[in-house]
Amino acid sequence: MPEKDFNETSRRGGTLWLLQRISAGVIFVLLLIHYVTYHFIGDGTITYQQVSEKMASPWFNLTQVLFLFAGIFHGLNGIWMVAEDYLHGRLVRLVLVSVLLLLGLVLLFVGTATVLKVG
Amino acid sequence: MYKPRKPYDLSYTHFVGSWAWILHRLSGLALIFYLCLHVWVIHTLTQGEQSFNRLMTFLSSPLFRVLEVGLWGVILFHAFNGVRVIIVDFFGGALMQKKLFLALILLAFILWAAGSAVIIGHIH
Repeated sequence: MPEKDFNETSRRGGTLWLLQRISAGVIFVLLLIHYVTYHFIGDGTITYQQVSEKMASPWFNLTQVLFLFAGIFHGLNGIWMVAEDYLHGRLVRLVLVSVLLLLGLVLLFVGTATVLKVG
Repeated sequence: MYKPRKPYDLSYTHFVGSWAWILHRLSGLALIFYLCLHVWVIHTLTQGEQSFNRLMTFLSSPLFRVLEVGLWGVILFHAFNGVRVIIVDFFGGALMQKKLFLALILLAFILWAAGSAVIIGHIH
């Protein structure tokens, strides 16, 4: 087995561990606001007009894109944290990381494009 | 290299903390799956007013309201057990993690019941 720099890998894991908790805090606050404003205020019907009016505000959109980014990071990093416990092969890890990064970019692109186009 | 005896070895899951850990993982995986669906559904905004409104009408049927109640519960479990994880990690809560779990899950349950009442009230 090749020499491995365990200081480096543990530092990287520690950073992801910390970022997982920071993104959790961001999501906790923004999800609460999201739920109250979209789903609890009003009679539950959601129309194009309501959403596009919200998305007309750049500041609101900034929080939405931050929310999206934090959510995607937290979710995909979460999958990685679970997978790390079970997948030990070099190749299978590389494939998974690639798939997660690609999925993250697609979700971020689709979500941001929606906000920009409607806003 | 570490080899687990079997990936589904649950012999250590007799305690609150380990169940919280397993359920946190499962709810997290469910939520990232839901986030993908959500981004995809909201993407129909770009296909114009009519298609978005038609989809929203479809998604406001009683079946989807019931699913929303479930989603709200999974979110609250993950969020409030996540608060417990952060208290344990950063604020010295390790020795009271069981009590924290029960207290936070009780709080989550109250919010779940209140939110669910609102969601069910949206069924026309």
